[in-house]
Amino acid sequence: MIPTLLLTLATAANLAPVTGTQDDERTRWSIHAEKIYAAPGELIENGSVRVDAGKITRLGSGGGGDISVYAITAGLVDASVRIHEDRLSVEESSEIQPALRVADTLDPFSHLWQRQLRSGVTTVMVSPLDRNVVGGLSVVLKTGGPENIAARTVAVDAALCGAIGSSPSRGNHAVYGLPTDFFSRRPTTRMGVEWEWRRAFYDAALAQRHGAELDEDARGLLQVLAGVRPLFIQAWATQDIRTAAFFVEEMAREDFGQIRLIVDAAAEAWKEPAFLVRTGAGVVLPPFPHNGRSGPDRAFTAWSSAAQLHAAGIPLALSSHGAQSPADRLDRQAGYAMRGGLPFDAALAAVTLTPARMLGVDESVGSIAVGKDADLVLWNGEPFAATSRAVGVLLEGRLIVDPREEN
Amino acid sequence: MRSTIQSALALTLLAAPLLAGDGRLAIRAGKIITQAGEAIIDGTIVIENGRITAVGAEVEVPWDVEVLDATHLTAFPGFVEAHGNRGMDRPNENIDVAPFLNIRDSIDPVNFYFEDSLRWGVTTINVQQGASCVIGGQGMVVKPFGMTVEEMLVRPASGIKLSASPKSGKSRATQAQALRKAFTELEHYLAGLVQKQKDGDDSARREALYQGRDLDSEEAREGRAQAGSAAWTVADLELIPRGEIDEKQAPLLDLVEGRIPAWFYCGAPMDVRVALEVARKNGFLAQTTLVLASSCWKAADEIAEAGVPVVLSAALMHIERDPVTGEEIETFVPKVFKEKGVRYALASSNQSTQSLWFQAASCVAQGMSRAEALAAVTTVPADILGLGKRVGSLEKGKDGNVLLLSGDPLSVTSFVEYVVLEGSTVYDRSKDVRMRHLLEGETPEGTAPAGSEEPKVHEHEDEVVTEEEPVDAGEDKE
Repeated sequence: MIPTLLLTLATAANLAPVTGTQDDERTRWSIHAEKIYAAPGELIENGSVRVDAGKITRLGSGGGGDISVYAITAGLVDASVRIHEDRLSVEESSEIQPALRVADTLDPFSHLWQRQLRSGVTTVMVSPLDRNVVGGLSVVLKTGGPENIAARTVAVDAALCGAIGSSPSRGNHAVYGLPTDFFSRRPTTRMGVEWEWRRAFYDAALAQRHGAELDEDARGLLQVLAGVRPLFIQAWATQDIRTAAFFVEEMAREDFGQIRLIVDAAAEAWKEPAFLVRTGAGVVLPPFPHNGRSGPDRAFTAWSSAAQLHAAGIPLALSSHGAQSPADRLDRQAGYAMRGGLPFDAALAAVTLTPARMLGVDESVGSIAVGKDADLVLWNGEPFAATSRAVGVLLEGRLIVDPREEN
Repeated sequence: MRSTIQSALALTLLAAPLLAGDGRLAIRAGKIITQAGEAIIDGTIVIENGRITAVGAEVEVPWDVEVLDATHLTAFPGFVEAHGNRGMDRPNENIDVAPFLNIRDSIDPVNFYFEDSLRWGVTTINVQQGASCVIGGQGMVVKPFGMTVEEMLVRPASGIKLSASPKSGKSRATQAQALRKAFTELEHYLAGLVQKQKDGDDSARREALYQGRDLDSEEAREGRAQAGSAAWTVADLELIPRGEIDEKQAPLLDLVEGRIPAWFYCGAPMDVRVALEVARKNGFLAQTTLVLASSCWKAADEIAEAGVPVVLSAALMHIERDPVTGEEIETFVPKVFKEKGVRYALASSNQSTQSLWFQAASCVAQGMSRAEALAAVTTVPADILGLGKRVGSLEKGKDGNVLLLSGDPLSVTSFVEYVVLEGSTVYDRSKDVRMRHLLEGETPEGTAPAGSEEPKVHEHEDEVVTEEEPVDAGEDKE
């Protein structure tokens, strides 16, 4: 390790041409750009960013660089992805699984991480699938680095995740056949799903109130009521978003606690933003579908959704929802949101700082500032324009995608 | 009557009778990107009888021509879709070899696709049968406006669809065999006709009479000499009057004689060899355009050598995974063809996130020049379609097809504000309720209010009506 480090320092000092192998190990870079979008509303023209040992060490105007590009933004943050998860990652013994960790199901060797990374996404929250009512605890990770989930983790148990809508009840059915049939014990309607939510939280809150012994599941729910971590509820359609907001209000009214609600995949949040403003909820939007409709409930996302939610003052994050199609990539979502009227700075915030704040990791990622992680996206034009793309990516100071290899 | 039908269909944006003129219009635009030389600032386009009569900064407008003031907008030629099979009722035919079919019978003028094409600025579309065929029917070039196929018509015979990729139910080998066999059968059929003629057997004439064909017109009586560059010829074919050639075989003979173009689908690089061989051997290589899946960039050398143009798949980035290292290798397909000197047109797969303007913008994002990218959605497809003199650029003598955009054609925040087709204003965004719905979430009048939308429930599969584009069974399954 020491010889490698020495070599890197020596290379940086005499500015000798470096080979690819050495660059892979190198963690000290100075990158110049015509425009550095350091944070939403914070533009440095003709400046440079210096990084060392995984952190940003200098940011300012002027200054040369090892690499020069048109624009730099912070590494993108996606608050809602599903990577390498399938039916086997859904625990079906109970609909309410507040203690399960999605981190345990992840495959660090999956090629899908590379796709995220190449498109400029450096930090993601991986959520459980939406088959359960309460699916479990999410994890915030870097999309690259050692092929080891623990080493990539930015925040453990970042949020408790669940779903409201048709997904948790889909495939379940009324009682027939064998009485032991598992799927007949699960909710079969939206009403059933909502009942599961309320029963679980009431049971936990009342048990605590009466001094009963608390199991791990109950403690998990109580932590959400105490505001230890946010509650991500996946709800595509208007009626489900309402249900989520009313549920959170009911918990407050019963004096169980104030839940920090983030509505995930909130395709139709634009229709009734008032409920979300009232509950202080944040929103994560799913990818914009080309014909307006998407998701399990064919919810309708207007192209101006992001602009409308932004105007209503609701904390807004865009997401790829883990989609793998290039058209659904996160940087594209920012462009589509701008097509729908979202100003550039708000679009930048929605894919960097706002999701970082939602996940409680804005101390280390989400903007370019001295002391933060050296996660940078290098662009060959204006970020999010249809005519430009991420040509370079730095992850914790390492040049993962090299813009000089652009042919 | 026409306006009644339209309002009944709620196609309010296609309010032709209100907007359309008599093919005469002058457009004053803040900027004209002609796709034929430098852009013109504060210019005028004059259209008469549906054709452009003048484009320039200093252009005299006849006193009696209506003027469309678009001084805040950018004029651009309409995008050209070189090949597609949307807008049809069921694009794939079961019969393997069916060159006698014509997609005229399958185009649905009120299909949502055509309306959407206007919205995204596509003004010329080559509609061809789907790729699940051996030899498919004949396509046609249309404009996305009109209540009947005749009104939409730009060019009636735009060529025959063929596929070197296996039609569903076939293996690659049987597909190639079926392709070759179709032409061998044509040869045998023609040789048989000649022999019958020599033997004094008039069964071909009687069959033609039975089919109700006109045998007495001058054209029908004329002997058919085989032209073209096929590797085979039928001796004494000129003895056969045109009218006596079976209509099931006649289109294939047209193909062999180089009279009509071929659109040859290749779903994998290995299919390219078969397609080129069949086209070469049967004399229609010069009229062939390959319609490619993204992986076919691997056959770019072979394609460049054959000198045929190509229509690329909408998936511009080919992603392949190394089976050993697990690394993904991305190849930006248009770049490969540009480097090899192959003429290529870009194609779309849906009308917003992969519309033609967006495809062109993606090329620029990948480091290609703007001129190159814009040509691949305008002038190049126009040339490939043989319509280079009619569409693709704003020049004197060309069709009066003009887009008026709110900004640069490749900007994500630009919108098509007006579409002028042959001098008639056929699209006006301020009247496009569906666009407003998609963009702003505003609910069109007469439909359910926002928030009351329920997922559609279909009791019987047969009755399902979707607005999804039809799946082209053969294309891009990789």
